[in-house]
Amino acid sequence: MTKPLISVKDLTIRFNTDEGLVTAVEKVSFDIAQGEILGLVGESGSGKSVTAKALMLLNPDNAVYGPESSITLNLGDEQVDVLSLGPKERKVIRGGAVSMIFQEPMASFAPAISIGDQMVEQLLIHSDMNKASATELSIEMLARVGIPDPAQRFSQFAFEFSGGMRQRAMIAMALSTKPKLLIADEPTTALDVTIQAQVIDLMKDLVNEYHMAILFITHDLGVIAQTVDRMVVMYLGTLIEEGEVRNVLRKPGHPYTQGLMNALPRLDDLDTPLTAIKGDIPSPLDRPTGCVFNTRCPVTLGEDCETRVPIYTSMGEGHQVACHLVEKTGAPA
Amino acid sequence: MTETLIETNDLSVHFPLQGKLFGPKPVVRAVEGVTVHIERGSFYGLVGESGSGKTTFGRALLRAVPITRGTAKYTDADVSYDLTTLEGDDMTEYRKRAQLIFQDPYAALSPRMTVRDIIAEPLEVMGLTQSRDETDERVREIARKCRINLEHLRRFPHAFSGGQRQRISIARALVSEPHFIVADESVAALDVSIQADVLNLLKGIQKDMGLTFLFISHDLSVVAHVCDHVAVMYLGRLVETAPTRELFAAPRHPYTKALLSAIPSLDPDDAGNVVKLEGEIPSPINPPPGCKFQTRCRYAIDICRVEEPKLDHSGFDHDVACHRWKELADDPQASVVEHD
Amino acid sequence: MTDSVNTDTANIDKNVDQKAKEAYFTASQGQLIWARFKKQTAAMVGATVLLILILWGIFAPFLTPYDPSIAGRNENYVNGAPNIPKFWDENGFSFRPFIYSFERSRSIKTNFRWITKIDREARRYVVLFPQGDKYTLFGMNFETHLFGVDKGKIHIFGTDGTGKDIYSRTFHSINTSLAVGTIGVFIAFVLALIIGGISGYYGGWIDSVLQMITDAVRTIPAIPLFMAIAAFIPDHLSSEARFFVISIILGFIGWPTLARRVRTHLLVERNQEYVLAAQLCGASAGHIIRKHLLPSFTSYIIVDLIISFPYMVLSETALSFIGLGLKDPVNSLGVMLQNVTSADVLLNYQWYFIPVIFFIILVLAFVFVGDGLRDAADPYGDTKK
Repeated sequence: MTKPLISVKDLTIRFNTDEGLVTAVEKVSFDIAQGEILGLVGESGSGKSVTAKALMLLNPDNAVYGPESSITLNLGDEQVDVLSLGPKERKVIRGGAVSMIFQEPMASFAPAISIGDQMVEQLLIHSDMNKASATELSIEMLARVGIPDPAQRFSQFAFEFSGGMRQRAMIAMALSTKPKLLIADEPTTALDVTIQAQVIDLMKDLVNEYHMAILFITHDLGVIAQTVDRMVVMYLGTLIEEGEVRNVLRKPGHPYTQGLMNALPRLDDLDTPLTAIKGDIPSPLDRPTGCVFNTRCPVTLGEDCETRVPIYTSMGEGHQVACHLVEKTGAPA
Repeated sequence: MTETLIETNDLSVHFPLQGKLFGPKPVVRAVEGVTVHIERGSFYGLVGESGSGKTTFGRALLRAVPITRGTAKYTDADVSYDLTTLEGDDMTEYRKRAQLIFQDPYAALSPRMTVRDIIAEPLEVMGLTQSRDETDERVREIARKCRINLEHLRRFPHAFSGGQRQRISIARALVSEPHFIVADESVAALDVSIQADVLNLLKGIQKDMGLTFLFISHDLSVVAHVCDHVAVMYLGRLVETAPTRELFAAPRHPYTKALLSAIPSLDPDDAGNVVKLEGEIPSPINPPPGCKFQTRCRYAIDICRVEEPKLDHSGFDHDVACHRWKELADDPQASVVEHD
Repeated sequence: MTDSVNTDTANIDKNVDQKAKEAYFTASQGQLIWARFKKQTAAMVGATVLLILILWGIFAPFLTPYDPSIAGRNENYVNGAPNIPKFWDENGFSFRPFIYSFERSRSIKTNFRWITKIDREARRYVVLFPQGDKYTLFGMNFETHLFGVDKGKIHIFGTDGTGKDIYSRTFHSINTSLAVGTIGVFIAFVLALIIGGISGYYGGWIDSVLQMITDAVRTIPAIPLFMAIAAFIPDHLSSEARFFVISIILGFIGWPTLARRVRTHLLVERNQEYVLAAQLCGASAGHIIRKHLLPSFTSYIIVDLIISFPYMVLSETALSFIGLGLKDPVNSLGVMLQNVTSADVLLNYQWYFIPVIFFIILVLAFVFVGDGLRDAADPYGDTKK
């Protein structure tokens, strides 16, 4: 079996704050194969952004990585241990083999430098191109992502682009270095739904064309359903379910995933009332013991769930759920 | 028989911009010629994307922005106000009856006030209570209704999550016992699991206190579940309005159809009949002539580029502003939109 | 594919201090700022130093041995070098610090310059709490000073051209400069609050007009302006009155910068959604200003005030230095520096510059505290997730 493109094992990230060491991510493990689109679903406090940033070592200085944590990038013959990269070696994960696009494209572009200059700068850092070829490639990429008049847009500034176009420009910039892995952190959340559809289509086309993998982070299950091959679900820093997107969405195993599906307003079912997951997402300062979801779980087994952290149980076909109920009964609630 | 609480006719809100020293000043037509009837006790949805003018419309109804043209009337059991000329004591009275719930739970609460003070502020400003004890009692009562832990009343906003802050925001809007609430994207910033909770809370409170809601949102799925009537706006204009079931079962305006089909389905195998809208939303300062949607509409014909369509009755309580709605509805071929 | 999550017991986040958590939840903005401020070493050091210097200045009459004005001068030791107390010399060790006696003489042989001959055999011992020149502190008269010497006078920092003790003058002058700074900052602040406040809150043409005035005042060059005003200050004014006039003038020149800051803060805060929420309840302008706008920028304004202080002090120094500001017997750094420009001083009496060190420390302390406060007050407390 070919090695996965990126392999995350037991990733644990805590932050040093005034109130103590706060856990943001706890023993998270997943792999992304070459050319695969993996969806990472989570709400606020799930640790999804922290995890994504860890792949590029973008977390702030007060982040403490657990000793068993490891992130391995497999680039052909080379194997890169991301967490041990020194400051000078990080180029490869930042814009090189790994690129990232963010939720708020306005905030991601420098306001006083033209879009073109920023794209060229990235290319000059990560490749041997000279300025002329970098400019040519950048304009090509802008055209590829569907921006009309790319040569003219090249010299424009971020504020002259609309939201959807900024996001496209962001994708163009991220892809110009031909990364193996694109991390998309809520790329469509800030976009209108009609623009969102366009951007998702674009990303899928590009995946096919460039054979790159995408880590698609979002809280929007509809977008996940239409975009990704496999998905993992995070809650309060822990992975609680993973599998093929069809399996997870059609037969969610974990009570949290089920709760999410039930809470979603669905256009194909206007009669079912919206059932909320009771309670609130606990603050990271208030992380529950045992299974992190036990405080809100409608089918909690009581003491067992409050004291022991569940391990993955397989539901077949690569579908795994971290839930004591599934472990005991072999079936979801 | 329910009566109309809020009625607007050809309502317009224009914002002047800094133009050149000489010559015409450009104007942003944020809301243009909107006519709606909001029944008392209804949960009225207003949808649109960015630039649609939905937020401005909601704020105009609360007189947070001035109304440039048209009429707007508020008619309650005992009073009636002309919202375009409201001022002085009438304005004060109206403010007691009409409140706003903001979108951003992080910006809507003053970080320097305790939760108790935030919720109590309307009572104190409007002089609705006689003593501090009475204020405290009313704050506690509304906090309970909104499921805010009473112990949290002495905390500051930075201690709370988005969903909790939104509940505080709601409590603040409700404490003066209003009759009309404008909920401006009130669940947009919330996580899905919390969103359902807040929506259920709003519906519960509506029944409990007999309120009328104007629910502004860009999220059609949410609107479909909680609203009984929906109006769709595009670039400041009203393009379609109908009872919820009707709108979602038989949308008539090409924009509404596109909007509905753009919502990603939860079934991975259902790519749906997706109408891909090309292009971007035009600028509200320099909108295209004729129908504002014609630049992106696959059915646009000559008349669409010249003349703005008026709201037409297409059925019981179902209005559309499109030159071709009839033929698009009659012709089943035209209704089934295919991806090119 | 993936490793299993192992069954740890009690995933209790012992790492999180529960008390700290609750304190964080119920902390007001002020408390949060103070907590963040305490963490910065430079700021805390600055604050401590500032406190020490201020106290030193207030209690200067007690802490220094002599009256800093002409009245307390030592005619026998004009332009004298500093007397550093020692504990030990070739004649033996002493618990009490001592200095030497001296004799001064001059003659035509020395070009009439005073020559000081030190007598290392005759010691003069430092005494604690001697009676000395009278002074008034907090409305009461005292005579006791912290230290003195049993015979003659001790001049730790030396003396100046008329025999005044530089050590005493330094600390009295800190007091003066701080007082001038306080009054100046206070006046500037009141003006800035009114003008900047009206400008920022009402906006529109009021704002445009007030901004033009503000900019105009700001561009007036200070020195010529002072020269003009100083020319009008009657000479017969007592030194205290002169002191107040100078302070007031400084305040009137200093308000534009502060006003601009106040206006900016207001413009930002005015558009916050919670202000709109209050307005939608029909809150009056007064209520909004009191409950929302003022508290919101109190922390910023305090920072601005603290940072304005050193500017006031330095302005006053510059003025007095060129002779337009305070004059004898009122002490200030500027007054003390009035005589340093002659070659004589630069070559022979370098101890005249010792007070400069103290002023640098004072200004730096203000700057560190101000910076620390600004960093602490800068809200990441408004973080989104």
